[in-house]
Amino acid sequence: MSNVLRPYLAAVRSTLTAALTLENFSSQVVERHNKPEVEARGSKEVLLNPLTISRNENERVLIEPSVNSIRMSIKIKQADEIERILCHKFTRFMMQRAESFVVLRRKPVPGYDISFLITHVHAETMLKHKIVDFIIQFMEEVDREISEMKLSLNARARIVAESYLSAFNA
Amino acid sequence: MSAPEVYSIAKSPISCHSFNADRSQVAVSLNDNDVQIYDRRGKEWQVTETLSEHDKTITSIDWAPNSNRIVTASQDRNAYVWQQSPDPQTGKMVWKPTLVLLRINRAATFVRWSPNEDKFAVASGARAIAVCSFDSENNWWVARLLKKPIRSTVLSVDWHPNNVLLAAGSADMKARVFSAYIKDVDKRPAASVWGEKLPFNTICGEYSSPAGGWVHAVGFSPSGDVLAFAGHDSSITVVYPSGPAVYCIRINTLPYVTLTWTAEDMIVAAGHDCQPIVFSGSEGGWAAVGSLDDTTTGGAKAGTARSGPVGRLNSAAFNTFRNADSRGHNADTAGDTELLTVHQNTITSVRPYEYSSDGSVARVSTSGVDGKLVVWNVSAVSTGGLAGRLGGMRI
Amino acid sequence: MADTAFRKIDIDIYDEDVLLETELYDPDPRDPSQVLSDAKQKQGAVRSSLAKSDIPGALDIALDSAPYGPNVDEAKNLTLQTVVTILNSTKSSDISNVIKALSQDAQDTLMKYIYKGMGMPGWGDVSGSVLLGWHEKLTEIAGTGCIVRAMTDRRSV
Repeated sequence: MSNVLRPYLAAVRSTLTAALTLENFSSQVVERHNKPEVEARGSKEVLLNPLTISRNENERVLIEPSVNSIRMSIKIKQADEIERILCHKFTRFMMQRAESFVVLRRKPVPGYDISFLITHVHAETMLKHKIVDFIIQFMEEVDREISEMKLSLNARARIVAESYLSAFNA
Repeated sequence: MSAPEVYSIAKSPISCHSFNADRSQVAVSLNDNDVQIYDRRGKEWQVTETLSEHDKTITSIDWAPNSNRIVTASQDRNAYVWQQSPDPQTGKMVWKPTLVLLRINRAATFVRWSPNEDKFAVASGARAIAVCSFDSENNWWVARLLKKPIRSTVLSVDWHPNNVLLAAGSADMKARVFSAYIKDVDKRPAASVWGEKLPFNTICGEYSSPAGGWVHAVGFSPSGDVLAFAGHDSSITVVYPSGPAVYCIRINTLPYVTLTWTAEDMIVAAGHDCQPIVFSGSEGGWAAVGSLDDTTTGGAKAGTARSGPVGRLNSAAFNTFRNADSRGHNADTAGDTELLTVHQNTITSVRPYEYSSDGSVARVSTSGVDGKLVVWNVSAVSTGGLAGRLGGMRI
Repeated sequence: MADTAFRKIDIDIYDEDVLLETELYDPDPRDPSQVLSDAKQKQGAVRSSLAKSDIPGALDIALDSAPYGPNVDEAKNLTLQTVVTILNSTKSSDISNVIKALSQDAQDTLMKYIYKGMGMPGWGDVSGSVLLGWHEKLTEIAGTGCIVRAMTDRRSV
């Protein structure tokens, strides 16, 4: 398990490091504007090839780089219906509070569960390798978080069932 | 080997810097709308003046050494020429701005005085370069536009020593050499390797970056016969138009965004890699020599960090996540916030600082997103740094 | 309700200065049908190299003049399959030496194929771990610069 996780996270880390080569770039389409080109998609030449890193069919990362911003989307592992529900609730909770997470996007890119938008402003005000660390840490913890929630959900269901059924035991 | 002089000027990024002629003052922009002029006070730099006229982020500053004029370019589409004149009331010397009629409708991205300081070129996002000269009749700076065949934002320009030719690198992945000949200003230039007859907007050369990267920086060699440019595809290309020979060096690390020639056979380039790298070569070929940043002197810390398994990625951070992955515990991550390089973030500009007696550049200055201004000795190349780094990557 | 479809018209494409997709790179001089026949020929050559267990030679053939640009999807897929076959049949202890034997051009092209392989829908389960292993080794040897070039080069494979 962790044998595949390690190269997966290493690949995400090196690709993110390569993509986070951002600079201040003023829009060449709209006068006096400065917007993330990966979202505005105003000029083709400042967008780079999007890259996908996949661990397996259900766990993927999409990195879309551009001259002044990158968009990174994660597809989180969802093995069964409960994990799907938990993942949905969890990402929704985070994205509704996106402004507290600074680099989080309010909506995921279609086909993915959660997206980050990192602009040159973030790269200037924060340490670049720390942003990468943050994302890698997030990727590790989200899996753990969801499996923990699943365990506690199952445990709770068992306790509820036991205490309910114990009424008929007597 | 002399250590670099490091000045932490600000907490915010330095988007550009330019020294005055005797290097006692430096004009910097701290990623905002103002230009700050710092005076050297011993080992420190102190703000003495703030030039505020722009209403958007300043992108580039150039201080003309002989005429002592500063030109600034900004994302508000304007450029100003600043000149010192006595204040009518106090008699103190103050910087007075003159607006330049650039005739561009997008951000100005880069500005450089010509060698004779009678013209300057402003690169812009309007897919054009404004070549400005002074019209003494009307007492203003007028611009003529170099437009064709630029297809995207121009990211940098550099003047040929003959005051006529201009190199430009742009986001359409090309570096071009133009003639910026202006009849009333320039004498007819002598024929060079770039061509003989050079009316305005003649294209003397057009070169593509090898793997489709935006051309971040261009530079003519001191003689003007060689052109070098740095692309976002982590490459440096050196062009000999007379050969014609083109040498392209692909590098293992992140792209460079700025470069300067220090001698006819030497280039210093820097960028996202956070350290200035020296390239050396001749018409026979070019190669990277080493880094000016001696990262091996970081002591034990450097030793452990070099043995990281994934190239030159921050391996302290890597270890943290490996611990978290294999042992499920989160190490305290407070200790690994520093990189081993002097600059802690992208270097935005590298410029000549001091010339030696034979005309080559003895020291260069760099400024970066980390708010540091550093003066490096060009001869202090640490080959160990680069070799060590490459060695680290081959583990 | 007034017709609002006109609001969706992309007027920027009528700006004659704007760069088009096709102008971002020089087109492949070869004809699409020739590219396809080249790819088939290479597949054969790679098979015979693999039979002799000459991995570096096989990779060299497969990565040389890779198809790019529009209208050659079939040749692209064929080459990708060829490359992935080679990657799958390499022992993990040999990977570093094989990569070191490649030219810088070939390393850059290999990086493009690794990303393309990982991006293919339905491929993740088949060769995900193999591609990740190669990616890790290639990054160690060719550095992040190689990844940057996989992003910037519009001649996508």
